Amino acid sequence: MKTLIRAEGVYKRYGTVDVLKGIDLEVAEGEVLAVIGPSGSGKSTFLRCVNHLERIDAGRLYFRERLIGYEEREGKVYELPDKAIAAQRVDIGMVFQRFNLFPHMTALENIMTAPIMVKKEPKAEVRERAHALLTRVGLADKANSRPDQLSGGQQQRVAIARALAMRPGLMLFDEPTSALDPELVGEVLDVMRDLVKEDGMTMIIVTHEMGFAREVCDTIVFMDDGVVVESGPPGAVLGEPRHERTRAFLSKVL
Amino acid sequence: MTTTRQTAGPDARTRIQAVPLRHPGRWVGAGVLGFLAIFLLQGWVANPRMEWKVVGEYLFSPAVLTGLGTTLLLTVLAMVVGVAGGIVLAVLRMSPNPLLSALSGFYIWIFRGVPLLVQLLFWYFLSAVVPTIGLGVPWGPTFVEFDTNMIITQLTAAVLGLGLHEAAYMGEIVRAGITSVDPGQTEAAHALGLTRFQTLRKIILPQAMRVIIPPTGNQVVSMLKTTSLVFAIAVPELLTSIQGIYSRNFQQVALLTVACFWYLVATTVLNAGQHYIERKFSR
Repeated sequence: MKTLIRAEGVYKRYGTVDVLKGIDLEVAEGEVLAVIGPSGSGKSTFLRCVNHLERIDAGRLYFRERLIGYEEREGKVYELPDKAIAAQRVDIGMVFQRFNLFPHMTALENIMTAPIMVKKEPKAEVRERAHALLTRVGLADKANSRPDQLSGGQQQRVAIARALAMRPGLMLFDEPTSALDPELVGEVLDVMRDLVKEDGMTMIIVTHEMGFAREVCDTIVFMDDGVVVESGPPGAVLGEPRHERTRAFLSKVL
Repeated sequence: MTTTRQTAGPDARTRIQAVPLRHPGRWVGAGVLGFLAIFLLQGWVANPRMEWKVVGEYLFSPAVLTGLGTTLLLTVLAMVVGVAGGIVLAVLRMSPNPLLSALSGFYIWIFRGVPLLVQLLFWYFLSAVVPTIGLGVPWGPTFVEFDTNMIITQLTAAVLGLGLHEAAYMGEIVRAGITSVDPGQTEAAHALGLTRFQTLRKIILPQAMRVIIPPTGNQVVSMLKTTSLVFAIAVPELLTSIQGIYSRNFQQVALLTVACFWYLVATTVLNAGQHYIERKFSR
């Protein structure tokens, strides 16, 4: 299997706090990876490094064997210009905890903006695809609604459709259900499950939904205090954790 | 069965029928103010030295209306320069490039720090120190050259003075608007592959408008009145025209009343427009 993401000793520090202290992991094409761990463990920060919303201070982070946010020539690392970074992000979709839909646009416009502005695709084609995506996430009738007219679950489903409209090769989910009322969590997880089953989408999911992680993911990574404590198939990590820290965390959330 | 349904409102037996609290102070206050208002108005309107005939004569006179037109034109042009300049200044101020950010800060420091009247006079008298303005290589050959007095006419001096001064204030207003937008919006746009400039234009500025528009409305109203300062460099706007007339017929108060009338008409129209635009953008 082709490796899509490769992290080697990824290190990130805010001021005097080391948030990531050397993360090594790989994500293969078609793999679904869940990152779990207590709050402040660095799991969201790592996810944000993957599309360069945060810049890493040391180590190497590759997407399709190319450095993310940098370029390496003759042993030296160069920062990439704004446009090159934007181009890298085109292939990586991201879904945020707080949805971050554009409030001044309708659901349809939210989905259409990036394909038209970034990929310069013809408007009619993008519109058609946007409608199809809305239908897919069960919101065909909400095309002309603005975000503040939608429930949290509906907003998150539009946000997923917005990311999918760019036809990304990798989807990042940053606690996609944490800001939702409990009864709305299911509808978002259904859409994500469908993405795995139907598209075989490669995904990295930072989540607290252990049941969903066990059911859908190929690999579970447990992070604590900026390091990967253990990783493996869900049955192993959730069922027979080898580390004391993993056991302590799971006993609190399961 | 006991009825638990009460669709007819509160129980009539417990309804409160209180005697309203009286406010005698308000009535006394209104009476005193009303008396004073009538007294002052009567003193002004019925004053024999107040030439109402002259007011009527000049209210719609061509000289006054042309002056009003120039005032409105100056307001529009100065605000266009101010808003465009303000957006540029705000974007530069927030740029990661420290040189650009410092440059914007320096501009704002200068143009907010020097009195507007001084700035107007400065532009007007620019030709005294810079007699010609040319395009060419510094210290090298010049391709085209103009007489400064040809380019910086009274009107351009006025627009430059008012507009560049306004830009410094608009810069701060636009910056406040941009900072008010949730940083998650920028992240979402970046994650979709939009560049910094695309994000600013399509995502951030439209949302910043809600915060930018109300103070900008204030600035327009304020600008309309501030244009009267350009009488100092003899641009024939409303106040200059009025002064020109009363320097001949010595009816200062009557003519200033004409000026007040037109300034009030214009600000009232602008206030209504501002109210409408604010309602539209607060959605």
